[in-house]
Amino acid sequence: MKKREIGTRTVIDNPADQTAIAVSNLYKSFRLPTERAWGLKQALFNRLRGIKGFKEQQVLRGLNFEIKKGEFVGIIGRNGSGKSTLLKILSGTYYPEKGSVLVNGTLVPFIELGVGFNPELTGKENVYLNGAMLGFSNSEMDRMYNEIVSFAELRPFMNQKLKNYSSGMQVRLAFSIAIRARGDILVLDEVLAVGDAAFQQKCNDYFESLKGEQTVILVTHSMENVERFCDRAILLEDGEIMQDGDPKKVAKAYMKLFES
Amino acid sequence: MSLPRVLNRQNRILLKELSKTDFKLRYQGSALGYLWALLRPLLMFAILYFVFAVIMNFNNEIPHYPVYLLTGTVLWSFFTECTSQGIQATVSRGDLIRKICFPRYVVVVSATFTALINLAINMVVVVLFALINGVTPSLSWLMVPVWILELYTFSLGIAFLLGAINVKYRDITSIWDVIIQALFYAVPIIYPMSMVIGAGDSAARMLVAKVILANPIAQTIQDVRHDLITPETVTVWNFDSAWYWKVLPIAIVIFLFIFAALYYRKKSKYFAEEV
Repeated sequence: MKKREIGTRTVIDNPADQTAIAVSNLYKSFRLPTERAWGLKQALFNRLRGIKGFKEQQVLRGLNFEIKKGEFVGIIGRNGSGKSTLLKILSGTYYPEKGSVLVNGTLVPFIELGVGFNPELTGKENVYLNGAMLGFSNSEMDRMYNEIVSFAELRPFMNQKLKNYSSGMQVRLAFSIAIRARGDILVLDEVLAVGDAAFQQKCNDYFESLKGEQTVILVTHSMENVERFCDRAILLEDGEIMQDGDPKKVAKAYMKLFES
Repeated sequence: MSLPRVLNRQNRILLKELSKTDFKLRYQGSALGYLWALLRPLLMFAILYFVFAVIMNFNNEIPHYPVYLLTGTVLWSFFTECTSQGIQATVSRGDLIRKICFPRYVVVVSATFTALINLAINMVVVVLFALINGVTPSLSWLMVPVWILELYTFSLGIAFLLGAINVKYRDITSIWDVIIQALFYAVPIIYPMSMVIGAGDSAARMLVAKVILANPIAQTIQDVRHDLITPETVTVWNFDSAWYWKVLPIAIVIFLFIFAALYYRKKSKYFAEEV
C-alpha cells in the first residue's frame, strides 16, 4: 500500500521541559474498504475493474495543542469526532499522517480497559499478563498483586477463570491493574463508568488524588466528570478543535452541539 | 532499531508473558493436555513407520531407520507448527495490536516459542529412542542445536514475511496449508535420499537431489540425522555438488530472514489500522 504518511511522533525525556505533549498540525485519514476488499480475489477484481477499493476518510484535520505537565485534560466530542484516533496517535498505535507529535516522558499505553484479557486464564494469570503489557515484570507484579486484588475487591475469585466473571468484575480488575502503571502521562478512555456506585466512589477518589500530581488525558462523554476533574477541556468536532480551555465553558459548548 | 532496543526490558517481559500464555492455552480443555505435544509427532511417526517400514520395507535402506524417521517427523512438526502459528499470530493477536503500542514482532516470536518448547521435549524423546536403538553418543551431537537454530531462523523468516502479508490478505493462511502439504513431499522425511539419487548416475536425478538438498528444511533435517544418528545420511555437505549448491540453503535462510524482518517492520506501522 503506497501510504503517504510523513508525520512524526517523537518521544523524549526531558524533565526540565514543562511540556508533556505537543501536537502541531496533526492530520490523519483512513482508507476504508468500500467493497469488501478482503482477500486476494477481491483485490485483484477491484484492480482489474479499476476500482480503488477504498475511500479516504479524513479523521483529524490539523490539530494544534500543548499539554503542560501536571495538567488534567479532558477530551470531549461527539461520536466519530476523532477522539479515539487522537489518543491512539498519542500513544503510538497509529502513525500520524501529517504534522508532529512530541511526547515528553513515558506514556501509559492503555486506552481501553481489559485489552488483552484472556477469558480462558484465571483472574490471577490475567493480572500478570496485563501487568506485562504495562511493562511490569513478574516480581514487580508479585509486590503489587495484593494491592490490586484488594482494590478490585475480588480476592475470592482470583483463581477462577475470567470467563466466569461478571462484566463489572472484569472491568474492576482491569481498572485496578491499569492505575498501577506509573507512566508520566496517563491516558484514559471512557473508564469512569466502572462498576457499581461504591466502586465508582473509589475510582473518583483516586482521580481526585491524581489531580495536580500527574498529567492525565481523559476521554469521556460525562460532562460532570469533565467539570469535576479536569483543569482544561478540548472539544473536538469533525476532526478539528472547536474549543479549548475552561472545562465549564467547553462542556457548555459540547452540550450546545446537541441542541440544534 | 538497534538490537538492544529490540530486546529491551519491557519487550522481554511482554515476550515472556505472551509465550507463557500461548503455551498454557494451546492444549486448554483437552484431557491429555501437554501430553499432546509429545503424542502428535509420535502418532505421526507411528503411521509413517507402519506404512513405510512395515508395508513398503524402507527399513533395510538406512541403519536405525525408526529413529531416522522419528527425527524427520519431529523436525517437520516443529517447522509446520512454528510457521502456521507464527503466520497467524499477528492477526489472532489483533486485539492487542489495535490497542496497545508495542513492537509487533513480539507476537510472532511468542507464538513460535511454544513450538520451540515442544521441539525440546520431543528431542529428548528422539535421543532416548536413539540410545535404545543402539546409536552411540558422539561429539557431533553438539552440532544438533546449531541446525535447529538454523531451521528456527528459517521458520521465523517465513512467519514474519507471510504474517505481514496475511494482515491484508487472509488467504495466506489457506495457501500456506497447501504449500505445507507439498513441501512435505519435497523434503526427504519418509524417503531416503539414496532413493532419489538411485543406482545409475543419471544427470536428471542428480539435479533433483541437488534441488531437494538446497531447501533449508531438507538440509537441516539431513544434517541433524547425520550428526545425531548415522554418518551415512546424505547431506548437502557430503553430497557431490558444486560449492554454490552447498552454501545455497544457508544463504536462503540468511537473506530470507533479513528481508522478512525488514518487511515486517515496515508493514507493522499500519497493523493497528489494518488488522
